[in-house]
Amino acid sequence: MLLTKDERNKDGTLERGMAGAENDMIAENSTKHAHIIEVKGLTKVFDNGVRAVDGISFTVEEGEILGFLGPNGAGKTTTLNMLATLLRPTSGTATVNGYDILREPDGVRRSIGFVFQDPTLDNELTGRENLDFHGRIYGLKQDVRQQRINEMLEVVQLADRADNPVKTYSGGMKRRLEIARGLLHYPRVLFLDEPTLGLDPQTRRAIWERIERLNEDQNITIILTTHYTEEADHLCDRIQIIDLGKIVALDTPDRLKARLEGDVVSLTFKDQAAIAKIRPVFEGKDWIRRIDTVEGENGQATVSHMMQTMGGVPGGGSLGAMMPGMSPGGMMPGAGSSYAGGRGKMPPRVQQMQAQGLGGESSQLGGSGGPKRLNLLVDDGGHRIPEIVKLVDTVGVVLESVELHKPTLDDVFLSVTGRNIRDERGSFMESIRRRRIIQEARSQVRG
Amino acid sequence: MVQPLSAQAIYVILLREVKLYVRARARIVASVAQSFFFLAIFGLGLGGFIGRFGGLNYLSYLAPGIIGMGLLFGSVFSGVSVVFDRQFGFLKEMLIAPVSRTSIILGKIMGGAVTASIQGVILMTVAGLMGAFTPTLALVAGALAAIGVMLLITTGFVGLGVAIGSKITDFHAFQLIATFVMWPLFMLSGVFFPIDVAPFPLQVAMFFDPLFYGVELLRGCLLGAATPLLGPLGWLIALGVLVGFSAAMVVIGTYLFSRAQV
Repeated sequence: MLLTKDERNKDGTLERGMAGAENDMIAENSTKHAHIIEVKGLTKVFDNGVRAVDGISFTVEEGEILGFLGPNGAGKTTTLNMLATLLRPTSGTATVNGYDILREPDGVRRSIGFVFQDPTLDNELTGRENLDFHGRIYGLKQDVRQQRINEMLEVVQLADRADNPVKTYSGGMKRRLEIARGLLHYPRVLFLDEPTLGLDPQTRRAIWERIERLNEDQNITIILTTHYTEEADHLCDRIQIIDLGKIVALDTPDRLKARLEGDVVSLTFKDQAAIAKIRPVFEGKDWIRRIDTVEGENGQATVSHMMQTMGGVPGGGSLGAMMPGMSPGGMMPGAGSSYAGGRGKMPPRVQQMQAQGLGGESSQLGGSGGPKRLNLLVDDGGHRIPEIVKLVDTVGVVLESVELHKPTLDDVFLSVTGRNIRDERGSFMESIRRRRIIQEARSQVRG
Repeated sequence: MVQPLSAQAIYVILLREVKLYVRARARIVASVAQSFFFLAIFGLGLGGFIGRFGGLNYLSYLAPGIIGMGLLFGSVFSGVSVVFDRQFGFLKEMLIAPVSRTSIILGKIMGGAVTASIQGVILMTVAGLMGAFTPTLALVAGALAAIGVMLLITTGFVGLGVAIGSKITDFHAFQLIATFVMWPLFMLSGVFFPIDVAPFPLQVAMFFDPLFYGVELLRGCLLGAATPLLGPLGWLIALGVLVGFSAAMVVIGTYLFSRAQV
């Protein structure tokens, strides 16, 4: 393996231009039994001293869907940018499809497609022209280019709007066009940076389905970043939880959740003082296996909060009814009903949020500072609730609500990082930027 | 670091610039109208007061300078549009492609030069229709030579625009650049008055304005040798200054662009 890699390196540096296709073939052969991505000690320290990515190492198998899950500012996008050769690592290295990101950036770029978080289309050009630009700059010949443009427009169902300027597209159409563009040169690896940020539930589902089909039909390896736990849960073969630039967990969604066996009983109290009083009582009970204080709901009206709640559009059911064709297999449930379709993995927490709508979470935003929620991990939670309520009564604090659910990735995230994933970490400017992306995605027609 | 060039990449980026230019009709109309007003109001109005100098009527004298104005503003704007590409994200689409940054920026510069020169040809036609040039066979050859000069001038100023665009990150800075870079370059280019009537300090400033040499060359091409300054040697000097300026701007623009963060 090492030998072939070295040989290829020599090839790559000596005759870059025309040898491209040949290099790709060699790379495919040589990586057949190896990892399509290998990352070793990748680190990025920005000029302002922020250690965005802190010595991470991992490998990705060909054909895998790997998700980077973490809050904003965790280092997900920075990692992707380094793997895509857009950003130079401070130390460490990686190979993508057998090419070294430092020494063979052109090989890496030919092997990957990248769908950015921010829109990167030319709004003045038509959809077809955007794809044509991409095909040409990747050196696809005229006939191949035309055929693939038509193929990809079919894949993302934009054929009928292909000759309209992109500025007339809705947010979901733009995202689909970006995905089509990322696939036009048949990459071996597709990077998706927050592919459904700010999109409505129907469009999100539709994009999930595209991603799954691409992965299955063409065996494209997919790396995606998200801070939606339900997205990671639904799509990914493996999930890598990233926090503060480090990998804190890497496993399949099921195995991650299995780390928290049992049920989560979630208690909301009137104020922080109540938690201080009740926590020692719970800590004394051996049938409570874990106690987590939920952070990040202490009055910061964050973009992420807004998005999560808006994602569960109030009256999602009526939207689903309005656009039955958009919903793959008619899986979009009305608010509060249960998910039956998909891979059946939609966590109950999403339903709760939809049922609660905006009010449910925003009511907690303005409260007095500090966490007001406790999550207890117990066996057979349904039967424990009366006992828990009795304990709370004995201590004499006011309990506002009780919820029971199976452990979700939110709970896993909380247990490995000690923080809620919806706790914003990004700067003020970052949150403004994200808000703009979300608005852009939501706008139906622009300009 | 040697960066391999890709003709295909340069071509497709150039093609995009031309498409965007042709589609931005409002911009073309505004620019042509602006030049027309200058020619009509200054050329005919002020011209009636000034009379003739050096055997030229004022409209004829003014026309090459107004063409130069269109070239200057068009090309600097085109270069600075790397800021827009960055702001609207399209820059990332170019940078992720398996081509060198040098290819990308050369495509951008050539595209800007071509579109600004198209603008120049339109203005030249407008001025011609207004009677600024004497219609002779020599004018046809002169006009062709003028197109070559236009490409040379615009290449330099697109390079300047790219250099500026790689350094600034928002639109507000663009106002400052228009006021402190573009307007002085325009006013000092000898568009309104010949250099020999200017006081000495102004003459020095005009000698440092690359557009001055461009306008002198255009005047030479379109009006014959009836320019106050340029003899046979002057032609060569002006051409040499422009070539040097353009080459330097392309190199500086390319360098600053390749170092700029996305």
